[in-house]
Amino acid sequence: MKTMMKGSILALGLSALAAGTALAQEATFVMTARLVGAPTYNPIKATKLNTATTLIYDRLVVQDADQSFHGQLATSWESSPDGMLWTFKLKPGVKFHNGEPFNAKTIEWWVPQFKGTENAFTVEAVDKVEVVDDVTVRFHMKHPDPNLLFNLASSFMCVPEPKSYEALGDKFGVTEAIGTGPYKMQQFTVGQQTVLVRNDDYKSASDLSKNQGPAKFKKLTFREIGEESTAYLELKTGGADVLVNVPTDFLPRIQTDKAVKLVTIPGNEVVYMPINTSVEPFTDIKVREATAFALNQKEILTSLYGGNGETADTFLISSLKESQVDPKYKISYDPERSKKVFDAAGWKPGADGIRVKDGKRLEVKLWGQNGTEFKRLAEIVQAQLKAVGMQADISIIDAGSINAQYRKKTEHQLAVRAYQWTNADIVDWFFAAKRAGYPNVSMFNDPEAEKLNDIAMNKSKTWDERVANFTKYHEYVLSQYPFAPIYQPVQSLAYGKRVVLPEKIRGVGFSSQSMIDIAPAN
Amino acid sequence: MLRFAIRRLAMLVPVFLAVSLVIFMIIHLVPGDPLEHLIQVGSSPEQRAQMIARYGLDQPLLVQYGRWLAKIASGDLGDAIVMRRPVSQLIAENMPHSLTLGGTALIFSTVVGIVTGVLAASFRDSLFDRAVMGFILLGSTLPSFWLALLMILMFAVQFEWFPVSGARTWDALVLPALTIGIGGTALIARVTRAAMVEISQRDFVRVLQAKGVPFWRIQLRHILQQAMLPVMTILGLRIGWILGGAVTVEYVFARPGLGSLLITGLGQRDYPLVQGCLLMLAIAVMLGTLIGDLAQAALDPRLREAMGAR
Amino acid sequence: MSRSSLAGRLVRSPRGAICALFLLALVLCAISAPWIAPYDYAAQKLSIANTPPSAAHWLGTDEFGRDLLSRIIQGARTSLSVSVLSIALSVLVGATLGAAAGYFGGIFDRVVTVFVDLTWSFPEILLALILIAILGPGLHSTAIAIAIAYLAQFTRLTRAQVMALKGELFVDAAVTAGARPARVLFLHLLPNAMTPVIVAGMLATGDAIVLEATLGFFGLGAQPPVPSWGAMMSSGTAQIFIAPWIIIFPGLVIATAVIAINVFGDALIEALDIRRPLRDG
Repeated sequence: MKTMMKGSILALGLSALAAGTALAQEATFVMTARLVGAPTYNPIKATKLNTATTLIYDRLVVQDADQSFHGQLATSWESSPDGMLWTFKLKPGVKFHNGEPFNAKTIEWWVPQFKGTENAFTVEAVDKVEVVDDVTVRFHMKHPDPNLLFNLASSFMCVPEPKSYEALGDKFGVTEAIGTGPYKMQQFTVGQQTVLVRNDDYKSASDLSKNQGPAKFKKLTFREIGEESTAYLELKTGGADVLVNVPTDFLPRIQTDKAVKLVTIPGNEVVYMPINTSVEPFTDIKVREATAFALNQKEILTSLYGGNGETADTFLISSLKESQVDPKYKISYDPERSKKVFDAAGWKPGADGIRVKDGKRLEVKLWGQNGTEFKRLAEIVQAQLKAVGMQADISIIDAGSINAQYRKKTEHQLAVRAYQWTNADIVDWFFAAKRAGYPNVSMFNDPEAEKLNDIAMNKSKTWDERVANFTKYHEYVLSQYPFAPIYQPVQSLAYGKRVVLPEKIRGVGFSSQSMIDIAPAN
Repeated sequence: MLRFAIRRLAMLVPVFLAVSLVIFMIIHLVPGDPLEHLIQVGSSPEQRAQMIARYGLDQPLLVQYGRWLAKIASGDLGDAIVMRRPVSQLIAENMPHSLTLGGTALIFSTVVGIVTGVLAASFRDSLFDRAVMGFILLGSTLPSFWLALLMILMFAVQFEWFPVSGARTWDALVLPALTIGIGGTALIARVTRAAMVEISQRDFVRVLQAKGVPFWRIQLRHILQQAMLPVMTILGLRIGWILGGAVTVEYVFARPGLGSLLITGLGQRDYPLVQGCLLMLAIAVMLGTLIGDLAQAALDPRLREAMGAR
Repeated sequence: MSRSSLAGRLVRSPRGAICALFLLALVLCAISAPWIAPYDYAAQKLSIANTPPSAAHWLGTDEFGRDLLSRIIQGARTSLSVSVLSIALSVLVGATLGAAAGYFGGIFDRVVTVFVDLTWSFPEILLALILIAILGPGLHSTAIAIAIAYLAQFTRLTRAQVMALKGELFVDAAVTAGARPARVLFLHLLPNAMTPVIVAGMLATGDAIVLEATLGFFGLGAQPPVPSWGAMMSSGTAQIFIAPWIIIFPGLVIATAVIAINVFGDALIEALDIRRPLRDG
């Protein structure tokens, strides 16, 4: 024991001498809240993947924060003018973790694997994949899909190694996960932690990464901690180096903490209040309009989120082109307009301030999902609606059953919700009549909207055409007030003293593009 | 004794069947289904229907129950739908953590509980007695999540003696075990003290005292031995609490465990997982109660007769 | 035992008396909450969010700038009524089931015993979490979940009491006199069997307060803006680093209330000269 002690004291002394060169070899990342509980690292079959996935695998293309596309396993690509043919050039000489080569044959095998899975929609438009040569593939399309690159950049389109994928079956992504990424999966305990070790041969980083070689840490541990306070305390006490997703309502507190640094990237999330258009009193578009203009987005931004992030005034995140609608369609706090429209609709203030029409009080239900953030948000919204004369009674419903409740269609009126998505087709997902109940919580069903939806979803050949069509559809939806926009969070990472993060995070989220640029602090 | 044990075991069979039926049905009463966690943006209602069929959720409940029971009989708890692993594997991964935490807490509360109970009973109504019982009462009334958070703030953040969370090193066990242990200590100390006080008023104690047997010898050799009976009963009853009662503490300390696994499964409406966890818990509790009863019967032949006669 | 002598004995235990007075004060607070609270418990004033205790706000404010003292007073109403009502429900149903099982025996007794063993098998918190998942969150389901979670305890206790009393002389006398079984059970047996059950119920009320708080911590109890001690602590958890008073004060109130209930319960047990029921959890 004594000699051991001596040994370690000696080692300590030595490392002090060598300070500056001896850097940390390991780092611990903590994921909390919704990043907890991804059951598998099988990108093809997963419906939920966490941050570590893009370190194990590479994708054909990746996105930058401005939504532009950059090659990773693909070096270049082009599509024919009619959108029926896509050609990808692949990076030569890339090898999987088990030594198998990555080439055009991999892609030919890979695309059909999606058939019948929950992720089938991603390559649904691809008819077949043709191998032109070792590093060239051609996608023959069933119909044009301007969204193809977007899909290819999602983490569900991480490319796994075919042989082990076939051999392991359902165990792939659970016991072993083999890709071409900068890290190899060493151990994975669902809900607990994932241990990754460096792939020393890595050289397929995209041009978004400064580091074009292998990653800088030998070993990474991704821990999953459900309780947000605990996750933050791990970072604060040095039990972790990076908190991958800082809950937005924690930001004000972290900003005052000197031991912890914060990096923010544009958000990919919108918080909003759907309005059930099919039940009284919201069948009246005037009531919807008045309600939508009653929410004070700025107050919510400052008081609940400490001024971090942006207010929302449309349904889409502001980095999407389709969010740039004609200003007259934007929805933001206007209490005078709200009161005027309520009056015009016949809802007059009663004795206690709550509006009344034909002897009925303006009482509605406001639903929220279980969790501190939504609960606090619901409480603020409740107070703001009261200020214009609407009484909202809050029900907090747990995440597992709230969608089933929405499917009952007539039980809910208002709700506070959030979605995370970086494509305009989310307007279709939440407002198409065929999905009324859930996800179309607003029960929005409008013939004009359906027509514009069909054009946007199915009649666009190129990306620009798609943008124009979706903008029109989006504008029309806004004009009908089936929801009120509230807030666009930022994505934030917090990190401790032992690591240095790149100043600018590249990508629509925190993924391999910037993660391999993380370096030990010296 | 053997006959008693077999009798007692046979009595468990109908209970087990009833428990399994309730366990199976109860999760289906919960609104929502596991598919909410599998549906992707962009997928169609047809895909949803396909998935429901794939997991056999389109069958009548009784048919599903029959299949499940048949599987259990062959030792298979099925596969978790959302987690995509055999339920038995998930339980095997989490059970050791529950046992370590529960076991440590149990040992802690038994040792500390009995010692304080004996001391409090021996110095009954002294300042020591009151202080100890007061402290214990305080510890047992605090909600465990509150105690857990304060423990983290104090011993992990302020003093940095222990890690905040997880189960990766031995010292991560200390705070959660202490949090749970305090409640158990209070219970065991209280039962020990009460039993000892009661027994010390019995005639045989007076006889021993009259014979001049030393005080501590009477306390430890004669009274404590008999007082162990109710303590054992309580411990037998606490098996379920040891395995599944630590949910709150596991959650705050981000520890794996059977309780957390069950709550995760419940949140995801993962039917096979919830059923499997509940069944394991129920079996453990039944065995715990059984062992408690048997131990009692072994210590007290009268009870054996009484139970056998019923 | 006459009433005056019970009160007399209770008064002779000063700790019991103090606790009884404290509990009485708490109940009065809960009843008169809207009139004695210094502020409106729901009034948000975001400009003074998370302020520490001061002359204006004795216990500080929460994350919406609401007065914590007013919320604790209003919360007493919610927390106490939920725990008292749920335990009352539990005692009522449990005692009826247990008494019937103990008195009639036979197949009914078997069924009840199996049922009791069944719920007894699970920690109350798990039972309550599962029940709330079925019923949906909210105060009503919290109360029902707590009632069911503690049902087994009272059923067991009453059954044991009734079985012990069944052989007593006065029961035989009543039966010989030609009284109907229900009459014997409700008029002769139950009143004699109930004292320990009611004391156990009182002690369980303390546990129910803690269980309500824990369910509140998981966000399943009272719906905002109605405060309960548990719900207050739940939202306080996220503020623990900047505004620890939000979680500390409700916690202290819970601890004091539960201790008072326990000490008073113990005094009651001594005054009534019954054995303290063994409890778990």
